Amino acid sequence: MIVLRGVSHKTCPVELRERLAARPAAEALSALREQGLAEAVVLSTCNRFEVYAAGDGDDPGEAVGRALEAWAGRPMGDAAYAKSGAAVVEHLFRVAGGLESLVVGEGEILGQVKTAYEAARQAQMTGKLTNVLFQRAAYVGKLVRSETAVAVGHTSVASVAVDLAERIFGSLHEKEVLILGAGEMAELTSRHLSSCKIGRLVVANRTYERGVELAARFHGEAVRWEEFPARLRTADIVIGSTGSDRPVVTRRTVEEALPSRMGRSLFFIDIAMPRDIEEAVNDLDHVYLYSLADLEGVVKDNVARRRGELEKAARLVETKAAEFAAWERTVGTGAEASLGHVRKTPRGGQGEKS
Amino acid sequence: MELILFACAAALYVAATLAALVYLYLKNERVSILMYHLLVAGVVVHLASFGLRLELFWKIPENRYFAPISSFYGALSFLSLAVAVVFAVVEGRHRLGILGAFVLPWAAAGAVGAWWRALYMGGTEIHGLAPALQSYWMNIHPMVLMAAYAIFANAFGVGLALLVQEAQVKSRKPTELCYRLPAIEDLDDLNYRCIVTGFPVLTVGILMGGIWAYGAWGRFWGWDPKETWSLITALVYAAYLHMRSIGGWRGRKSVYMSMVGFACVLFTFIGVNFLSGLHGYLSSNG
Repeated sequence: MIVLRGVSHKTCPVELRERLAARPAAEALSALREQGLAEAVVLSTCNRFEVYAAGDGDDPGEAVGRALEAWAGRPMGDAAYAKSGAAVVEHLFRVAGGLESLVVGEGEILGQVKTAYEAARQAQMTGKLTNVLFQRAAYVGKLVRSETAVAVGHTSVASVAVDLAERIFGSLHEKEVLILGAGEMAELTSRHLSSCKIGRLVVANRTYERGVELAARFHGEAVRWEEFPARLRTADIVIGSTGSDRPVVTRRTVEEALPSRMGRSLFFIDIAMPRDIEEAVNDLDHVYLYSLADLEGVVKDNVARRRGELEKAARLVETKAAEFAAWERTVGTGAEASLGHVRKTPRGGQGEKS
Repeated sequence: MELILFACAAALYVAATLAALVYLYLKNERVSILMYHLLVAGVVVHLASFGLRLELFWKIPENRYFAPISSFYGALSFLSLAVAVVFAVVEGRHRLGILGAFVLPWAAAGAVGAWWRALYMGGTEIHGLAPALQSYWMNIHPMVLMAAYAIFANAFGVGLALLVQEAQVKSRKPTELCYRLPAIEDLDDLNYRCIVTGFPVLTVGILMGGIWAYGAWGRFWGWDPKETWSLITALVYAAYLHMRSIGGWRGRKSVYMSMVGFACVLFTFIGVNFLSGLHGYLSSNG
């Protein structure tokens, strides 16, 4: 019998989650072993802290609950949820698929589920049930994302902007990014961009020295403010993030740069408040302008689209959970049912025996 | 039998086109793979049907070893085969399954059109070739031109995809379609590469026609409507290449130009047949 005790962003305040998450996985696992549990996996993320356990004792759930309260330093009450048997399987599959995440379909959780399982395996706290369950969860997590659209479309402004740039240019490898301004937003953007593969980063700031400083930190090039209109001839992506109270890029400035661009696309991202780039720029051929509000609109659409897929994903998870339940019933009867993908693991692998 | 096989090929192209359209609206890679398989199956069946026709065609001694494309049915059938093959190559190399929705309708329309015509208007019966057509050029000149047409049909599909993608990004409210279609610049590049490949093929095809005409009728060029319109087509595509490389025309503007070129291709291939005596296999006095 497999049980689950845990808390998540849906049930419990952040302080309690933080207190629980502060405990290193190895320590938590050995504490659980001392409680007499044979199999346990601790899944600890920013938004949830869950213990999956299986054991022969009278009630493994009781032991896990006691451990949780000890770590939290107080009774859990309604903050924690308790599940057992088939409900645990369905819950884990939903978590792995990102259906329980704050941002539906986010991909990080799948890696966290795998890491949690790996930690348990290294602590020799897994057995047949948990092994198959967590391998199955990783598979279902992937399946949910490929078979439904729960993970389609980015859900942060920065990644939406990069995604749109890729819709325009394809690869950003050799593209030149011009950043107007050197403030906090400019810095955040530079950091995000330097993690993507772009060709060149150019910073233009009214105070040249601050531009140089920012450019140096991200291996870019700084140009004087007066030079930026000339840079519009070579740049591919222009990010407006100055504190100016009037637009610094006017339709005219862009129009003057266009003839020498030979029809190459130019992507303006305006994250300044008030805006840096004149709205009319978007009317020009080969020029695309997205403001912060536009990007937020795309994020909102994407989140809504993912939510729209929840039901479909939930049905898929249910089917897979039922398959697992059928397998679990046959374990130990001698006629073990096949779970499809489990069979595909290489034969003779001794790794799981530990 | 040949016609049955051909109908099967046409049906497979239609199915592949439908799969491509479904893929456009559902994110499902399996549909894309299904499309590719249907397409390849269509090409294989089409080749079989073409082979059967070839056998019948060659039963007539004066036809021997000439391609059976002297009738409109034969020509259209061959053209749709060429479009399907060119797209299969492009798809195989670039894995841009999404473009199927823009290119395959042409292959399907060509095949269905040819089949329809064969069924209701006849034209599948096999005649001996007119003496003027009994030349090795018969196997080269039309084939080369139809290869060029097929490449241009692909360019047209790519251009259409570009227009859609451009409108998507420009609207600032991109739908899911935006995430399925390739990038604007990539589509522009592919459109250009198709045309830069198709243009020399077209030019060579036209020149071959001139040489053949010189041998058969004693003049290189006679301002026959087909000749005139193929020249116009070549000029439009030349203008496209020129404006793109020197005039800085890219994206939407150059795509419009290439679409004008494709309209000329369609007119040269279908419309002119009603006007031309020499190239009139549609009016079947060719």
